[in-house]
Amino acid sequence: MIKKTMLALGVFTVLFPLMAYAEDPSTATLDMGLNSLWVMLAFILVLLMQGGFILLEAGSTRMKNAGHVAGKTIFTTGLAALIYWAFGYGMAFGGDSSFNAMFGWGDFFFNPSITAVQGDSYPSTVFFLFQLAFAAVSLSIAWGGFAERAKLSSYIIFTLFFVAIIYPTVAHWIWGGGWLAEDGAQDFAGSTVVHLTGALAAFAATVLLKPRIGKFNKDGSANEILGHNQVFTALSVLLLWVGWFGFNAGSTVAIGDGFFGFVAFNTMLGAGAGGVAALLISWAVTGKADITAMLNGTLAGLVAITASCAFVDPWAAVVIGLAAGVLVFYSVKFFEKIKVDDPIYALSVHGAAGVWGTIANGIFATQALADKVGVGTGGLIDTGSWKQLWVQFESVFVVGAFVLVASFLVLGVMKMIMGFRVTEEQEIIGLDLSEHGAYGYPEHMKKADSSIQG
Amino acid sequence: MNDPMQLQLLKGIGSADCMDELRSLRDQVHDQMETLLYKCPIEPYNEQLNEVHDAVIQRSIILAEAEMARAGKGSPPVPYAYILFGSGGRREQTLSSDQDSGVVYEDPVSDLEIIQQYFKELSNIIVCHLQEAGYPPCEGNVLSSNPEWCMSQSAWAAKLNGWFEEPTWEAVRYLLIMADSRCVYGEAWLVDELKDLFFIDMLNHSVIVRRMLENTLRHKVLIGIFGQLLKEPYGQDAGSLDIKYGAYIPMVNSIRLLSIQHGIRETSTLARMKRLMEAGKLSEVDGTLYEGAFRLFVRLRLMSTEIRVNGLYSSSGKLSSSKLTKEITDELKSSLRLGKKLQRAVFKQTMGRLT
Repeated sequence: MIKKTMLALGVFTVLFPLMAYAEDPSTATLDMGLNSLWVMLAFILVLLMQGGFILLEAGSTRMKNAGHVAGKTIFTTGLAALIYWAFGYGMAFGGDSSFNAMFGWGDFFFNPSITAVQGDSYPSTVFFLFQLAFAAVSLSIAWGGFAERAKLSSYIIFTLFFVAIIYPTVAHWIWGGGWLAEDGAQDFAGSTVVHLTGALAAFAATVLLKPRIGKFNKDGSANEILGHNQVFTALSVLLLWVGWFGFNAGSTVAIGDGFFGFVAFNTMLGAGAGGVAALLISWAVTGKADITAMLNGTLAGLVAITASCAFVDPWAAVVIGLAAGVLVFYSVKFFEKIKVDDPIYALSVHGAAGVWGTIANGIFATQALADKVGVGTGGLIDTGSWKQLWVQFESVFVVGAFVLVASFLVLGVMKMIMGFRVTEEQEIIGLDLSEHGAYGYPEHMKKADSSIQG
Repeated sequence: MNDPMQLQLLKGIGSADCMDELRSLRDQVHDQMETLLYKCPIEPYNEQLNEVHDAVIQRSIILAEAEMARAGKGSPPVPYAYILFGSGGRREQTLSSDQDSGVVYEDPVSDLEIIQQYFKELSNIIVCHLQEAGYPPCEGNVLSSNPEWCMSQSAWAAKLNGWFEEPTWEAVRYLLIMADSRCVYGEAWLVDELKDLFFIDMLNHSVIVRRMLENTLRHKVLIGIFGQLLKEPYGQDAGSLDIKYGAYIPMVNSIRLLSIQHGIRETSTLARMKRLMEAGKLSEVDGTLYEGAFRLFVRLRLMSTEIRVNGLYSSSGKLSSSKLTKEITDELKSSLRLGKKLQRAVFKQTMGRLT
């Protein structure tokens, strides 16, 4: 028996000589490897959220535009990757410059080192991918305002400006060491940077485009233009919800001491609270438990908790989610009242809830968690100080103003030069046919086609 | 509308020689009644309005009979009754109610098919006449021109028994429709005998009340848990309140179900309430409050948005937001709360009786 064992060991030493001599990897290398894997996984999850946006936008709009809606999301995500590589990343995170407070400058046509640089906690490649996925999410939020009536060419032009300049500027201000970061603005995973920015671009677009044909009556009353597939919409919320764990928990960009788990935990609570609150409020106010309102509420809970998930205690995550659910219900009514057509509810879900989530930090953030993350201070309840609340207001206001002005400028000029909206006839036929030449649902659309002629 | 005018009008309707004349008389009534709505107390107003409707319908039937005779088809071969269902049956027609009607005739001794044919043709003419007079036909096809609703006594009896034996959702709906039936023209005893059968069947199938309850409470009173009005959120009627299905019908349905359970044969909702109070099934206090609420609903229903399509009078049953003044809204809210209370009471009473 002993002989056999010795023989076996001897054979193994011959076969795998390295095992006997290889050095253990250093703790730093292991740490770097784990962090990289986590950020990579988070990137994958956030990229998959585009699938959520495809289903959300397609499900909430009509059949005649489904192919266009779905296809353009994939296309613009690809386009965004190229533009972010060439310009956007450099504007957001490019090396120091003399005007660093306003935007970054450098690393254009980003050429990363092939492995992690000694001392970095992850390679810059995964960080780039992760940040790119955020930019793409913000862009897809903006498309909510374009839905069902913008020309395909306008998507291309706007992607260019949004991913190269508008989004990176905001990201730089808050995350890239810009002036709001200096002030201690808390926006952990981007209630403001990603969601509010996207929503305000959507707002500018939907105002400039004007409402879809048939949305409002002459007397100002609104019609309900129902989406063609509520199951898509519900599935989209699930996809986004899952993706959000990459979005929020991934924003720790470190495995570290397992803090990402706490962030995920708060995220879950916020989402649940948002959906529950929205369903109950719609039931109480309109007498019907509205599915669309509930789905919007779940997303609003997620959007709101995005800024605060690392800064607040779990009970506050529930409160933030509940408030977001109620807020989004009234916000939808408000936009309808002022006759702004918001087909995907982007303004309410990402805008109103984004503002609320950012402000909520100033109220609910705890000093202990602010110290842990290393950004800003505790909020009103924990510290009794208004300081953080003020900073949060400031960041929402400044970012909001910048994005609105920039988006109106870009889209307004575009509208003047090349036109923004398709013709009435094209809108009625559907963008599938007018922009791409084929319906997303060819069998279903034949009849509608012939009835247009009549 | 003062009484001499009303009498004169009824006389005019009673002696009209053709449908054109009837139509112009009805249009005239319309214009007068519309201006009166805001001045008159609602009950006499409603009574007068329904008298006019009855007169127009009766005259249309007489003219149809005459037309049949002129075409060489003779006069009615057996005694018959022309029945109104729905709001007509309840004497609660608005300025723009549709036709819900049926015919019952005495069992023929012979020539069954010829007699069937006669009533079929007669009913067709009547329904056409009434359309000319501006009454749109019932969308659910509860019409005398539909052979299912134009039958001999024994066929009706078989049909009623069948509905009781197999209370599908549709059958229960038809039974509730039957409960509101009223003879508008012809031999009233024919309808009375149908009603006799209806109430005997009710006694023998008391569980059917549970099915009727489901159907009865289907329409929710449009008031939310915060006491707010549940208005139309979208569309042309956005901001308006569905008075017909969110206030009036729930109350009609509730009172009808109570009446059916207690063998009350009146068809008008207010008369039913009175009988329920007399029988001690509704307390005087509650009953009086319900009456007040119901009068308001009847008045507001008359104020709801009217639509005139191809010469037919119809209504959305919805009260536009411009008419929902502060006073009306407040009154409406307290009345709707009463409607809700009544629905709960009916549910409790009905379920209580069954267990």
